[in-house]
Amino acid sequence: MANKDKWETIIGLEIHSELNTKSKLFSAAPNRFGDEPNTNITEVCTGMPGALPVLNKEAVRKAVQLGCALEAEVAKFSKFDRKSYFYPDSPRNFQITQFDQPIILGGHVVAEVEGEEKTFEIDRVHLEDDAGMLKHFSGFAGVDYNRAGVPLVEIVSKPCIHSPKEAVAYAMAIKAILQYLDASDCNMEEGSLRFDANISVRLKGEKGFRNKAEIKNMNSFSNMQLALESEIKRQIKLYEDNPDTDPNELMGQATYRWDPDRKETVLMRRKEHADDYRYFPEPDLVPIVLTDAYIEEIRSSLPELPLQRERRYVSELQLAPDAAFVLTSDKPLADYFEEALKICHRPRQMCNWLIVEFAGRFKDTGTHLTTSGIPAEHVGKLVQMIDAGKITGRIAKSVADDMVASPGKDPELIVAENPDYQPMDDNEALEGIVDKVLSEHAQSVEDFRNGKDKAFSFLVGQIMKATRGKASPETVNQMLKAKISQ
Amino acid sequence: MHQLSAIELRDKFLNKEVSALQIVDYFLKRIDSYDGQIGAFLTVYHDQAREHAKKLDDKLAKGEPLGKLAGIPIAIKDNIHVKGELSTCASQFLTNFKAPFDSTVVKLLKAEDAVIIGKTNLDEFAMGSSTENSSVQLTRNPWNLTCAPGGSSGGSAAAVAARLVPLALGSDTGGSIRQPASLCGVVGYKPTYGRVSRFGLVAFGSSLDQIGPFATNTADAALVMEVIGGHCDRDSTSIPHKRETYLEKFDKTLEGTTIGVPFEFLKDLKGDSKQAFEQSLETFKEKGASIVEVDLSTLKYSIAVYYILATAEASTNLARFDGVRYGIRAPDAETLDQVYDRSKEIGFGHEVKRRIMLGTFVLSTGYQDAYYKKAQKVRTLMIEQYKKAFETCDLIAMPVATSGAFKIGSKKDPLEMYLEDIYTISINLAGLPAVSVPNGFTSHSLPLGLQLIGPQKEDVRVLSMAHAFESETSFNKLPPQFED
Repeated sequence: MANKDKWETIIGLEIHSELNTKSKLFSAAPNRFGDEPNTNITEVCTGMPGALPVLNKEAVRKAVQLGCALEAEVAKFSKFDRKSYFYPDSPRNFQITQFDQPIILGGHVVAEVEGEEKTFEIDRVHLEDDAGMLKHFSGFAGVDYNRAGVPLVEIVSKPCIHSPKEAVAYAMAIKAILQYLDASDCNMEEGSLRFDANISVRLKGEKGFRNKAEIKNMNSFSNMQLALESEIKRQIKLYEDNPDTDPNELMGQATYRWDPDRKETVLMRRKEHADDYRYFPEPDLVPIVLTDAYIEEIRSSLPELPLQRERRYVSELQLAPDAAFVLTSDKPLADYFEEALKICHRPRQMCNWLIVEFAGRFKDTGTHLTTSGIPAEHVGKLVQMIDAGKITGRIAKSVADDMVASPGKDPELIVAENPDYQPMDDNEALEGIVDKVLSEHAQSVEDFRNGKDKAFSFLVGQIMKATRGKASPETVNQMLKAKISQ
Repeated sequence: MHQLSAIELRDKFLNKEVSALQIVDYFLKRIDSYDGQIGAFLTVYHDQAREHAKKLDDKLAKGEPLGKLAGIPIAIKDNIHVKGELSTCASQFLTNFKAPFDSTVVKLLKAEDAVIIGKTNLDEFAMGSSTENSSVQLTRNPWNLTCAPGGSSGGSAAAVAARLVPLALGSDTGGSIRQPASLCGVVGYKPTYGRVSRFGLVAFGSSLDQIGPFATNTADAALVMEVIGGHCDRDSTSIPHKRETYLEKFDKTLEGTTIGVPFEFLKDLKGDSKQAFEQSLETFKEKGASIVEVDLSTLKYSIAVYYILATAEASTNLARFDGVRYGIRAPDAETLDQVYDRSKEIGFGHEVKRRIMLGTFVLSTGYQDAYYKKAQKVRTLMIEQYKKAFETCDLIAMPVATSGAFKIGSKKDPLEMYLEDIYTISINLAGLPAVSVPNGFTSHSLPLGLQLIGPQKEDVRVLSMAHAFESETSFNKLPPQFED
């Protein structure tokens, strides 16, 4: 039986994010996803002889914005290198990347993990161009170079992540920053945000690192968590089942792929010897030289960042920090939240409706509240109706179901059209129900009088049940208190 | 007509003494008559050139403005793209490759109404010093048809020397314009690195490659530089300078100038080349220039450094020739690895394979520090040493080659061939402008060249002083007598 407490996990994440520039990193070809194959290409994207790369200034600007947002050092001198490997998706058979002098050095992000604020250190961020994509047909394969040359930033964390939950929180925080900067579409399904993890375990107190596994193909946060959890279990089991074998022999350096169907990591290739990419400076490009004024101008014009927004929500709107983190980590959702607050300024309730109630209703549907067609105004109205006592919380949940079923339908209309959703404002009828419940549960009344608070809640519950949730809990409370204390 | 300079031809055309079509037809006929002996051209654009000439005649007739190169035929080395035409680089790999775009230089030439007349032979991918590495054909030296024209731009040099065309473009990575110019008795100019756009030049050593002109005289070469020597935003290493005027700054005076000579580096120079070089220095002195010695002791490492850096870059530049997207694909290949391996096997010649392997080796983990990185450091030292030398002189003079043209097939050992570029390579490593101007003949009546080297960006100074030297001598006035 694995003793998890004996082990600690070390994770480093490499996040590749496609920058949403108008054109590609080294050519004027459009940077656009989903078009017909090989339509967004120039002679640079296909590696034609005689073609030369010219650096896209917008990509540099976005990388510098990211560096400033990560509170990292923006290198005033950085350069590009050629990384050689042969594959048909690589049009020149070398990638243009930044090897030893990246544009961004260091930096950190703050993320909430289980109610605790944690700081994660970043090693570096560099610019590079994306490869094309292979498409397999029966009997042959083709290459689509539309993606070839799309600008990427690779954000490399230090090995400072110690659990799958931390990894997810870190990745969410990075994604949020990219979204807030409008630097990337961060669309994981389209591959504009991709994660690779390096993961190893060691006994607590052990010095140095054991061999690590590299895991690819974790294309969602939930997959990342599952993949890392599964890999940790696999590694611990391997070491515990073979206590007398040299750990380095047990665990060779290897690359794995997460298989979401089998829910396990699958070996892609072993790395007996390190790949030799023969890096050397790209002679077709001049180094990137940035002035203090340029960096300062970008730093001073940064938009509000997720952490600032989270802190604002905690201090000004009294949200709980973990709720504020979840909300602000999703920029469209946080924007949606602020829209909804304009209708009804009940921040804590509104936040709960967004990150618990509606999030739950959209889970595993492939869509999100912000893209569902339900306007923020409608969620605002829903909370407003609860707040004004027009509907009870219980009815509100049903109204929310209906809103999800018919996106765009005004919740006020939903309530007006459904007799079951009418609040019970007939106090005489309610009084009858209260009296009936009291007479049927005399023992509970007695218990309450003897100081058992639970008995009161029980009675409220019985009354709500009898009114099918339509009575205002406040009115029920008042009426019940008045009757019992008579 | 072939005895005229390019500028004279243009002026005759503009003065309506001769039509563009007459000029083009004349040179096409010369090519058709004599290139069988020389082998300079890989492709001749008979129809396109005549069509273009007719358009120029129309323009002139209508009184429309014409460009600086109006009506002048020009040949292009076959590693420089002309849109829609073959760019073979004299390699079997690209026998079917048509350029999908115009190189910047060709675009600029066309904009100034030059007539592109064809493409010239070269060592495969510009790798060589004799044009014998062409996988297509041999090119012969017009001064002696059993001799090589030098290389790698041997086709362009031989074409101009034989007066098959008044102007040609070549490319120079380690001497590939200057050395064949010297061996063929014409003017060849290698501009400052970054002066001429490399966009559309099939790369060999990207940090060394420059396109430059061949002409029968310095004024014609300068005229081409006025057209092609400008900033290009499609080449990141292009110098952000406007095009310069050269000809109006030509003043023919050497009075008060200082010529630096690295005598120590040249101590092994002997025979005809030594005599011609010393004679050239005398000419400078007679015309009021002073000669000073400069220390260029690091130049003895030129060849070693060059064959590390150039091959490192080449090994990655040529990686794109893999049989996947363009060029040839081995017909018997079934797997991806076979496509790569067999296409390269049949597509590349020996010298190209040798250099790809060498470049791959010097970049490999475990060897990169000893070779590539050390070579970069020596390159930096050379740049510094040249800079220091130019504090004491206006130009540096050296021979271009150790001797005149050599017999075809006489240099079998690749290292012996590499030594051909001993005097030219360091100029590429330092990114300097340099010209080869005819400065004498060997005892076998083969031409020799003087190399004049300037500080970075001083292209005008180099060509202007070369013009002054040329005006005092007459080595370029005598064309070779090869015609049957």
